[in-house]
Formats: sequence, structure tokens, C-alpha cells
Amino acid sequence: MIVFQNVSKMYVNGVYALYNVNFEIENGEFVFIVGASGAGKTTLIKLLLKEIEPTSGSIFVDGVDITAMKRREIPYYRRKMGVVFQDFRLLPDKTAYENVAFAMEIVGASGREIRRQVPAVLGLVGLGSKAHDYPHQLSGGEQQRVALARALVNNPSLLIADEPTGNLDPVTSMDIMRIISMINKRGTTVMVATHAKNIVNAMRKRVIQFNKGILVRDQREGGYFDEL
Amino acid sequence: MSFRSWGFYIRNGFQNILRNRVMALASITAIMVALFVLGLILVIAFNLDVMVENMESKMEITIYLKDETTEEQRLTIENNIRSWEGVYEIVFVSKQEALDKWRTELGDKGKLLEGYSGENNPLPDSFLIKIQKPEYVEDIVERVRAIPAVDDINYSSRVAEFIGWFARGIRIFGALIVAILAVVAVIVISNTVRLTVYSRRKEINIMKYIGATDWFIRWPFIIEGMVLGMIGALLSTCLVVGVYKLMIDRSGYIDVKWGYLGIFKLLPMDKIMFPVLVISMMVGVCVGIMASCISIRKHLKV
Repeated sequence: MIVFQNVSKMYVNGVYALYNVNFEIENGEFVFIVGASGAGKTTLIKLLLKEIEPTSGSIFVDGVDITAMKRREIPYYRRKMGVVFQDFRLLPDKTAYENVAFAMEIVGASGREIRRQVPAVLGLVGLGSKAHDYPHQLSGGEQQRVALARALVNNPSLLIADEPTGNLDPVTSMDIMRIISMINKRGTTVMVATHAKNIVNAMRKRVIQFNKGILVRDQREGGYFDEL
Repeated sequence: MSFRSWGFYIRNGFQNILRNRVMALASITAIMVALFVLGLILVIAFNLDVMVENMESKMEITIYLKDETTEEQRLTIENNIRSWEGVYEIVFVSKQEALDKWRTELGDKGKLLEGYSGENNPLPDSFLIKIQKPEYVEDIVERVRAIPAVDDINYSSRVAEFIGWFARGIRIFGALIVAILAVVAVIVISNTVRLTVYSRRKEINIMKYIGATDWFIRWPFIIEGMVLGMIGALLSTCLVVGVYKLMIDRSGYIDVKWGYLGIFKLLPMDKIMFPVLVISMMVGVCVGIMASCISIRKHLKV
């Protein structure tokens, strides 16, 4: 469970990226974070990843106030989450398989665990046959599938996706969203920041909307509205 | 951390070096130069130490007594000097003993001294004082000079004293130069490691998101610095050994010409090689690790 309590983030220039934000996300939920560029979506994700600190307020994840967390605890905290980005962020000199295995090496998994888990996850995202291709040999959609596999391989309880379809065509985007949706059905909490209107409208999930740093809408089974 | 992770660190450390070959070469050169100077200074210091030790064992002051000195005065002086700090031994040499010794030294020509025995012996009574360390010489000479019964003093320890002073000077001066060169080496290596950190910043970023600990990210870079330092140390030791070999070969010539001095004997290679290698390795590895730590410190904040 994720709780944001009166969270504000002011950058050094005095502008609020987020102002007095309050919301709760239950385990297993699927939530869209929407809003125009600069509305505060990325700031929200950075706060959740503990890449930056809020200026005021508290953030609770599974009952723990992460703003009070010690620096050396951060890596272990991050292992509870999988993250995918608009630009995929794969390592170009590693194959799809190696990119996913890398995430397991980092957390100290054994060779046997890696050999069992990596093909399974690649199969889950539909990339079993391209495991030994390098990122430049894969299409955008396939690269994002690798990124998804990497995010999932350590069995996180939360999947965070920052504009996961930003670089993809509409058909591929729907493919990726279908996979994310399937992951959610297996019990993982999912948070997708996006401004892909058609996707949000098609999926009818919970929508949290921001405008200039202020939470302006929190709606069950919502759509994507440009205006309020 | 598990054994598996160490395989990962070491593999990545070596990959880092191979990716930035030119900078790696520059780093190795920098640390090699610094350690080469260190090695030379060590070699000189080791040799000087032994040299000073040899001279110290030969350090003596001879004091000649005035003819009118009584036996009672003589004993007082002897007991007095024996109690001074730095005096290792004091031996009385009577004028008769001195004459006998001289005669023996002259060998065949000993009969030249025939007319000088007994009443006619021109040599004075004397004391031979053996000194523990060259530092004491000046002081003891001063005090001996103040004794009224002393006619003349003879001491040849200035060379030993100079070498002792020189050895200390070389050590201080050498430490200074090595320190400066070490700082230069740290800067060059930290730049090299910074470049590999920079070229791998995307990877580091991804690692942070996946939940890699700081130490997991740091180790490959520390190993990179360590390996650069180690290679530099190995090469510099080879250079020092080469130069020292040359010095030993040349010193044969010195031995023939001034061998009788018996102090310009260089230590054998096996006494030099191991300590130089060990010390160079230690310094090289420390410098490498330090440099790596400096350059990754600020890149870990994600």
C-alpha cells in the first residue's frame, strides 16, 4: 500500500512541482497518473523511487515512512519495485537475456535461479524466441518488453511505468499495455504515468490527474480529460 | 557479498580497463614513474643504511696525552670518559705500545725506529675511544678538548657523520618527492576511473533503479584502480631492478679502484628486489584504490 500525505516538492527555483498531494493506492490496484508535461508526474515517480526527497509531507510504502529511510536501506527498498521508462534504458552491449539476467546478478541471485527465472519472464512478455538478440536488433515494442521482463524478474510488488508507450506506435502500445494489465492481474500493483489519451480511455482504470503540481482528480474507472 | 558477486566485480573491473586503453596506459605510466622514483630512493636508502652501519663500527677517536700527565690523572680521565654517553669503549695505549705497533706496521723497515726506544720514544701516551653512533662524535670531541691533560685529538668520523646526515636527508627529500608524485598519480588514475564511470553512467543509473547497493557499484571501479596500481608497481620494480643490475655491474670498477675503502659495496640484488616489490605494490594499490574512491564518490548519488 502506498500513501502520500500532504506531500509537496519545491525545486530550488521556488516553483512547486507538487503541492500538498494526498492519495492512497491499495495493493493490487492499477492506477494511471495523467497530466500535461510538467504537471508533476515524473516528480511523483522520483519521490516514490526515493531519488529525490519531498520538501514536506510523508510517503508511506507498506507502512514504512520512506522519507525517514537511511541511505543504505534504499537499494533494498527499490528491489520491491520494477521500473520501466519511455526510453527503455537497456544496456546496448548485452543481449535481451543478459539484460534481464543482469538485474538478478545485481541482487545476488544464483546461477541456477537466473537460468530458471530469466527464460520464464521472457516467455511471459512474449520474447522467448528473441532472447539472444541485442537491443539494436529489436523493435521498440520488443525492447520495451525486455525492459518489462527486467522490471519483473525479481518479483516486485509494485511496477512503475513512466510513459512506457511514449516511443511506440498505437498498436504496439496496446500490446505493451496488455502485458502490463496481465502483470497486474497476477497481483502486482501497477502505476502508469502517461498522456496517451486513447489508452487511458480504453482501459477504464483508476485515474489520478495532476495540473501544475496539484492533484485535481482521483477517479475510479476514469477516462483522460484534457480539461476540467 | 557472495563469491559470485566477486566474479562479477573482477570481470567488470578488467572490462573497464580494456574499454579505456589509452587512459589506462596514461595511469599506469604515471604510477610507474612515481613508484620508480620511490624504488630508487628505497635502494639508495637501504645501501646507505648498511654503509652507515659499517662505518659506525669503525668509528674511533684518538686522544694524545701531554707527556707530563701522571698515572693518577690518566686513570681519572679514563674512568671519567668511560661514563660518558655514547662511549662504547675506551682503551689506553701507552707510548711503548704505540711504538711497537708502529714498528710492526713498518715491517722490514722497522729497524729505522731503533734509536727511539725507551727514553727517546717521541710518541705520546694515548686513549682510543670507540663511539656508538656518529651523532655523539662532535659532543665527545668538545668535552675531550676541555680536559687540560689532552694534547691533541685525532678523529676521522666526519665521513660517517656526513653519510648519516645524507641518508636522513635523502629519506626526507625522497619522501617529499614520492608524496608529490603519488598525488599526481592519484589525480591521473582518478581521471581515468572517472572516464569509465562516465562512460558507464547509464549502466550505473540502471543498477541504482534495480536496487544495486553502493558497494556493488563501487567494487568494479575499485578493482580497476587497484589493477592499474598493481601493473604500475610491477613495471616500476622491473625498471628499478634493471637500473640496480647496471649499478652492480659498474660497481665492480669502483671496487677495483677504491675497494680498500670497503664501504662502497652494494647490497646484493636479492636483498633489494623483494622489499622494493612489496613496498611498491602496497603503495600502488593504495594509490589506485584512493583514486577510484575519489572519482566514484559523487557519481553514486541517484
